[in-house]
Amino acid sequence: MAERAFAVVGLFDSAQELIEAIPRVRARQVGRVEAYTPYPVHGIDAALGLRRSPLGGMVLVAGLLGTVTALSFQWWMNAVDYPIPIGGKAVFSWQAFVPVMFEVTVLFATFTAGLGMLFLLNRLPFFSHPLLSSKAIAAVTRDKFALAVEADGNGLDVDRARAALLTVGAKMLEVLPFPSREPSSLRFIFRATLGIAAACVVAGYGMYWTIKLFPVLPPMVHMQDQPKLNAYKASVFFKDGHGMQIPVEGTVPRGYLPYTISTQGEAGELVNPLPRTRQVLQKGRKAFSEHCAVCHGALGNGVPTLTSAYGAKPANLQAQTFRDYPDGKIYHVIMVGKNAMPSYAADLTEDERWAIVHYVRVLQRAQNARDEDLR
Amino acid sequence: MNGSRFPGAFWAMAALGSLGVGASWFAVSPERFWANWLLWFLFVLTTGLGSLFIVALGHLVGARWSVPIRRAPERLSSLVLLAAPLGVVALLALPVLYPWARPEGALNHIIAGKAPWLNVPFFAIRVFVCFGVWLLAYRILTGGSVKQDQTKDPTFSVRARRFAPAFMVIFGFTITLVAFDWISSLEPEWYSDIFGVYLFAGTFLAGLGASALVVIHLVEHGRLPGVRGDHLYNLGGFMFAFTVFWSYIGFAQYMLMWYGNMPEEIFWYKQRIEGPWLNVILLLAAVHFLVPFFALVPRDRKGDPRNMRWVATLVLAAHFLDLYWLIFPVVGTSPVFSWPEISFALCFLGLAMLWVRRAMSTGADMPVGDPLLQEGLEFRL
Repeated sequence: MAERAFAVVGLFDSAQELIEAIPRVRARQVGRVEAYTPYPVHGIDAALGLRRSPLGGMVLVAGLLGTVTALSFQWWMNAVDYPIPIGGKAVFSWQAFVPVMFEVTVLFATFTAGLGMLFLLNRLPFFSHPLLSSKAIAAVTRDKFALAVEADGNGLDVDRARAALLTVGAKMLEVLPFPSREPSSLRFIFRATLGIAAACVVAGYGMYWTIKLFPVLPPMVHMQDQPKLNAYKASVFFKDGHGMQIPVEGTVPRGYLPYTISTQGEAGELVNPLPRTRQVLQKGRKAFSEHCAVCHGALGNGVPTLTSAYGAKPANLQAQTFRDYPDGKIYHVIMVGKNAMPSYAADLTEDERWAIVHYVRVLQRAQNARDEDLR
Repeated sequence: MNGSRFPGAFWAMAALGSLGVGASWFAVSPERFWANWLLWFLFVLTTGLGSLFIVALGHLVGARWSVPIRRAPERLSSLVLLAAPLGVVALLALPVLYPWARPEGALNHIIAGKAPWLNVPFFAIRVFVCFGVWLLAYRILTGGSVKQDQTKDPTFSVRARRFAPAFMVIFGFTITLVAFDWISSLEPEWYSDIFGVYLFAGTFLAGLGASALVVIHLVEHGRLPGVRGDHLYNLGGFMFAFTVFWSYIGFAQYMLMWYGNMPEEIFWYKQRIEGPWLNVILLLAAVHFLVPFFALVPRDRKGDPRNMRWVATLVLAAHFLDLYWLIFPVVGTSPVFSWPEISFALCFLGLAMLWVRRAMSTGADMPVGDPLLQEGLEFRL
């Protein structure tokens, strides 16, 4: 027992007696002196000669780190990575960053204070402190003040410690043995991690099935339920009660100017507004192959892939008649149709129609190349 | 704080200063004269009120540690008495500094709309009522405490503890009135709900700074036996907390107005941040927050009289600079500080020192009749 003793504990009735006893026991140098009290006792730090806790410095450093982290984080997001000016303010507006900087400072500082105190300085988890299984613990958590002489590196001389405590008037002395086995921190961490992982899985599945089985609880509907008018929503604002209103007379959609030309002769005067660039020709080729090539053929020569069902024969755009057509006339045919060909005005944009005209010219020239084209 | 040794120096300061004050009445614009007067009136008043608040706070929560040093804020709160005549004289500044007190104020529809509150008779009534309740509270809290030195009657402690909650409510209302009436209404178009809290933070700090200086002075002269670094530490802790509180409130007010950018709010800040005033507010941020914060962060520093002396002085000076930054932009677009300001400083600082020195002889140096005194002396961190 003697060489395996962890501490000798004695009890005092008041904090005052305890504080007076501490320096006298410390002076005898029998072991590490520790006090256990039901509440924090003012002045006990000085009596025990505790060295200044490094926690304050750690908290300060962590807090400043939080400030800098939040500042650089927001600077990166708002001024560098995705700059969006909001409300006419500069993208780097430190004023707007301050609340987050403050919060992150507090977050870092409190986490450092809490976790640093528990795990770094008090070396938790430590489940089986010998005092917890003593008889004194019941009194210490109620109204008594315990003074313990604990084993230091050289072990503990129980008799000397007992004598020291008796001299200063401690009562109900008790010898505490070392804990029977050291608690395994690694096992605790492993179990705690496993427990947290299990809790995450259970919570995730629970949430998933709750939402799936009880769809009356939609998780997030804020984007759906807006007070704006949708196209087919009823409205109390408009007289006719419809959300969607008929546009004002003469309204023209962007890019769709009204087409007032009715004769081919008139249309022949039109000039192709697009330049003959590679981009325009590629656009023309795409539109031609999607809309025209089915009947007129990929080369525009009227040899189609899909015409057997039709009685009418598609026009051969390589024919001299069409090669002599002015640009405007081809455009006009696309707009209003010709013979069996319907109007393609609704399927093609203005630019696509003129790009097709350019492309038809290219097809015609390619099938009727001149000598100078080959040079 | 060498008052006990050199009372003549304070008389000389006050005399020299009052000469300068008299000269500045003729030499500088009335706006500048009255702005100086208002500044010193408010500085003396808030230091006194902050001290009275510390006294009431101790009674309110039944604090033990503050009992041995309570006489310091009790004596300092007599500055409210000194502020009373200064405030009454400051009523003469109304037509000079306050647009709503001038006839053309009626032409501005915003000021005209506030006329039921901002008019000279009602303003004067509020000033007199405020001084009335402060003096009453001063009488109850301080007078009873001094009487207790002889009687050793513990009923005063009970009475003070019952009165303290009522005082807190009164104090909350009246300090807000000081902020709104005397400072905010210099620019009556501007308003900020939190401005009263902002002034309260500065007021409390001023009281703490002055009390700490007095306590350190008395301890050095051996007049507070048993008062230790542990007591000073608590004053330092309060000071630390409320420099942060002041900054928090001040920045909260600024950030909301900066975000909203509304013309009726932001003009007040534009006057106080743009141009040469930028230097003043940067200095204010340094002396009212950054320097005291880091000077008070280390634990030992809060109980160290040498450190606490200069921090307390700095906190008082920062509160003065705060008031200067609040008031003086109505005088001009750039800060003025020359012989009139120095004269005012000499005059009122000398007067206040003489006043405090006289107050130092009221009652014992410690509330010897308070039943909690022994517990307070035994206080350890």
